[in-house]
Amino acid sequence: MHRSGSPSVFFRITPFLLSSFLFAILALCLSSPLLAAPPERIVSLAPNVTEILFAIGLGDRLAGVTQFCDYPEEAKKKPKVGGMSNPSLEAVISLKPDIVVLTTDGNPKEFEERLRSLKIRTFVFRARRLPELPAGVRELGAVLGVPDKADALAKKIEDALAGASLQKKLFPDRKKILFVVWPEPLIVAGRGTVIDDVIALFGQENIAAQAKTSYPKYSVEEVLRQSPDIVFIGKGHTEIREMSEGFLNKIALAPAVKKGKVFFLSDNLYRMGPRILRGIEEMAACLQ
Amino acid sequence: MPSVKITLLIVASLGIFFVSLFLGPTLISPFSPGPIEKEILFSIRMPRVIIAFLIGIALGTSGAVLQGILRNPLADPYVLGISSGAAFAAALSLLSGFYLLGKFTLPLSAFAGACAASIMVGIFGWKRGSLLPERLLLAGIGLGFLFYSAMMLLVSISPSEGMRRTVLWIFGDLAMADWSVIPYGLAFIALGLGISLQRAKALNALILGDELAHSLGFSVQKERLLLFISVALMTGASVSLGGTIGFIGLIIPHMVKSFVGANSRYVIPVSALCGGGFLCISDLIGKTLLSPMEIPAGIITALIGSPYFLYLLRRRDVFQG
Repeated sequence: MHRSGSPSVFFRITPFLLSSFLFAILALCLSSPLLAAPPERIVSLAPNVTEILFAIGLGDRLAGVTQFCDYPEEAKKKPKVGGMSNPSLEAVISLKPDIVVLTTDGNPKEFEERLRSLKIRTFVFRARRLPELPAGVRELGAVLGVPDKADALAKKIEDALAGASLQKKLFPDRKKILFVVWPEPLIVAGRGTVIDDVIALFGQENIAAQAKTSYPKYSVEEVLRQSPDIVFIGKGHTEIREMSEGFLNKIALAPAVKKGKVFFLSDNLYRMGPRILRGIEEMAACLQ
Repeated sequence: MPSVKITLLIVASLGIFFVSLFLGPTLISPFSPGPIEKEILFSIRMPRVIIAFLIGIALGTSGAVLQGILRNPLADPYVLGISSGAAFAAALSLLSGFYLLGKFTLPLSAFAGACAASIMVGIFGWKRGSLLPERLLLAGIGLGFLFYSAMMLLVSISPSEGMRRTVLWIFGDLAMADWSVIPYGLAFIALGLGISLQRAKALNALILGDELAHSLGFSVQKERLLLFISVALMTGASVSLGGTIGFIGLIIPHMVKSFVGANSRYVIPVSALCGGGFLCISDLIGKTLLSPMEIPAGIITALIGSPYFLYLLRRRDVFQG
């Protein structure tokens, strides 16, 4: 039964297999010109991607962004598709994107799968650490059809990174640094963040790197005990200076406060994008 | 009366209070602290431990009083929607970036929210010239859900920065404890505790039922209103000091009753001290476990509290209202 059965089954499905194979090739031939054409309508699901897209001259082609995409100014005027962790599928689809750019950091993986199942092209921006950024920008530029501009931006970033690590020699003594993202309750930049990477780039020590998450809620008494030499306070949406007073009073004995080495920085280092260039300059100026 | 047990509980609670000052992410020797250790001890740990203890006192007492006046073993200060009102107001001030009153902005808006919520619950729970337990409870639950969903609405439409802070605050955050807010918190909590202690006899009568209380010579309406006000004061103050820290108000009175019996004259003061001790130890664990990272105390109270609560539930019939 079995012996006579299997070949006949095989012969019966062979034409089917063959025809579907041919059909697949045909479909591939038809779609490859589409794949090659640079996508005209782009939806960005992350603020850093939005910033990169504007920096490589694709601002006009951006069809939609998240509600967190607030830089540059023009980004605020783009149609919104919701947050990063909860973008609206309907809003994305109704923008008829040629491609949707996501990140591994803030966007749910399921959302990307859902888009692909709806035959919407996606690109996942994977750079999470500073050294990976230039390659990420180049890859993104290649996919979106602007390899030259992306390469130029990537080069700029590479130069800045190289320049910063050269400056390392200017600050020979390793200083203990704390970067405050929010003073009350105390949330700081820990390991695995762009900020931590930049601090390492300058050869300095981020005291919060021992915490287990990237933006830990940090113990104030530990700050005092570890006595940072420099405290950076990142920009918040309210009067961060006033709000930091309580925290700075509590750590009044730390060398950073005693010697006036408390600096209020912008939000340039919060996103893995082109503004990192300025963030690096800002931090270098404070370290000198 | 089980005076030995009471003494033990009081000693343990006070012991925890003092131990919390010296234990933590780093051990501080009480005899020869260095300059940094002194600074940590006096300007960081001491206000924090005092605030934790105050909040614990307020929540433990409120829970004991509420379970009595509502005649419901499930009642706790948060069931009445007071904390949700406070959390909503706090979220509103955090997310709007409103910072007019400096560091008092957050505690004050939380306290205002708690007061507004209490008054609303009181109005809804009022019928025929008195506060009715069932109405109070249902009004509290209804308003609580309303405030909670309004707050979640705010959180979900807000940009990222204030969001995490709000979420941490909702879980109860003692990290920014500061000497400056202690006098205000202390005043309200002391007032509430004073009323509760003074009206403990009346509470005993209310637990027996309105008619019996009336025949014992208590004015049921007046007593219940007075005790409700004391709970509102204490809960409002505690929420504004440290966010919404759950479970203490529910579990501490039950735990205390299993040791000292049901007499409110013992249950109230012992619940106050045990609540304080319990929150101190929860905060100690929260800041030490993953040091230098901190876990909000409210998460620890629920993590320790729930299993113990379930254990009590299995062990004996403490939940017969």
